[in-house]
Amino acid sequence: MSLRVAVGAVFRREMQLFARRKSDWANPLMFFLIVCSLFPFAVGSESERLKLIGIGVIFVGALLAAMLSLPRLFDEDARDGSLELLLTSPEPLAVLILARVAALSLALGVALAVVSPVFALFYALPGDVAAMLALTVAMAVPTLLLVGAIAAALLVSARGGAILTAVLVLPLTIPTLIFGAGAALRVLYGESPAAELALQAAFMLLALALCPLAAAAALKISTD
Amino acid sequence: MNWESWSAFWDMGGRGFFVWGSYGALLIAVIAELVSLRQARKSALQALQEDHDS
Amino acid sequence: MARTEQQSNEKYGGRWFWRYASPAAFFPLAGRIEALCWVLAIVLSAIGLYLGFFVAPTDAQQGEVYRVIFIHVPAAWMAMVIYLAMAFWSLLGLVLGTRLSFMMSHALAPTGAIMAVISLWTGALWGRPTWGTYWVWDARLTSTLILFFLYVGYMALAASFDDKKKGDRASALIALVGAINVPIIYFSVKWWNTLHQGSSVRPGSSSMATTMLTAMLIMTFAFWAYSIAAAMHRLRTGVIEREGKAAWLRDAMKGWLR
Repeated sequence: MSLRVAVGAVFRREMQLFARRKSDWANPLMFFLIVCSLFPFAVGSESERLKLIGIGVIFVGALLAAMLSLPRLFDEDARDGSLELLLTSPEPLAVLILARVAALSLALGVALAVVSPVFALFYALPGDVAAMLALTVAMAVPTLLLVGAIAAALLVSARGGAILTAVLVLPLTIPTLIFGAGAALRVLYGESPAAELALQAAFMLLALALCPLAAAAALKISTD
Repeated sequence: MNWESWSAFWDMGGRGFFVWGSYGALLIAVIAELVSLRQARKSALQALQEDHDS
Repeated sequence: MARTEQQSNEKYGGRWFWRYASPAAFFPLAGRIEALCWVLAIVLSAIGLYLGFFVAPTDAQQGEVYRVIFIHVPAAWMAMVIYLAMAFWSLLGLVLGTRLSFMMSHALAPTGAIMAVISLWTGALWGRPTWGTYWVWDARLTSTLILFFLYVGYMALAASFDDKKKGDRASALIALVGAINVPIIYFSVKWWNTLHQGSSVRPGSSSMATTMLTAMLIMTFAFWAYSIAAAMHRLRTGVIEREGKAAWLRDAMKGWLR
């Protein structure tokens, strides 16, 4: 089977599963909604104050929601034995993992990115900021999923894996958080977000290049 | 020598709390680590002893 | 099975240091290094602290409180250096498969984490009287905080595996991933700092009197010696735990066992 065919098959299977099991992307979305709704209760409803914290809250909320879906990458397959198939496939494991992460990114990333501007309304943020937020969330989610795949692979079927995965991955997402939220902040202040966007894109590409390999190594370590 | 008296030394120009709070924390941390090192060695040797006896 | 030094050297083709990859060979050497480093740590600390408190003058701007740097800066350095060492041993372990390398990495982690905490604590106590607040999101403090998270993550991951060999390799991988990220994180935090110039920027290493610098340097070496000693001790404990069944250890421990 050619590489392209295998990758396509993995990708398509993931998308079919998403279509069938809506909770896979609906639950993180609900989480995102609820988290973003919590802060005004704690901080007060004055729009000036909300405007200041809005970008941060939305971005971190999106990251946390993406975080929650990480165990889904490998745990189920480990349970029903299909992880073995993945590991013994003749195709390079890194590419197959990449296909899987790509599917999850597409499903979840698009969902989160499309919903973010709605929350911009909650936080009295203007439209151009909302648009920038959508773009940067769309870039941040794949980056987080790529880095998170490494931790998810190491902790396949581990008890309490979700929390430990979060503890391992969240510090590593700080650069993408800084530049993603930073770009939106620039737009809020009427400045050019070009530098931040370029840097966020750079990290996404770096993650794209390195993480699948690391995740493949991690999967081999944990399923030995 | 820098200090006119011992009380000047402890006072650290009015900032005694910050200076000694720092050095004190270091002391506590070092003692805690040394104790933990000792405890770990003890249990390892004990496990070895039990193994040896059985 | 014991070997003579010569036999070992012949086996490794004259590259004598390879034989220390075996826990059996390294165990006594680690003990000697440990003892030496405890002594060094005590002596250097005594000298450094004496210089720092009784020879270094009062600072023109900060008064006496600057003397916190004699432990703040060395702790910050060690937090960073130890993490790099951890990453190095992790890489070695993954590439060569030597379990002693993994054990070395495990032995370093707790000391590194403690150094990070001390650095943050002393930094806060130094910051309050000098710059007005206990905490400031400057590049160095923030990076140290993140480094602390990385340490904790490493130790938590290693502890979560019942299979020690798997735990070794998993935590080694995460140490490496963390190490690659540290410069990225540091750079990002520096950038982020310049964006949000809210609080006053902490001055970098402004001109320090020579005695201050000397005291700080000596304390840095003292912290280094301490860290090595603690790590060696932990390593030997780790070897006892893991290699407990091996004959060489039983022989060596004969004196310790009743």
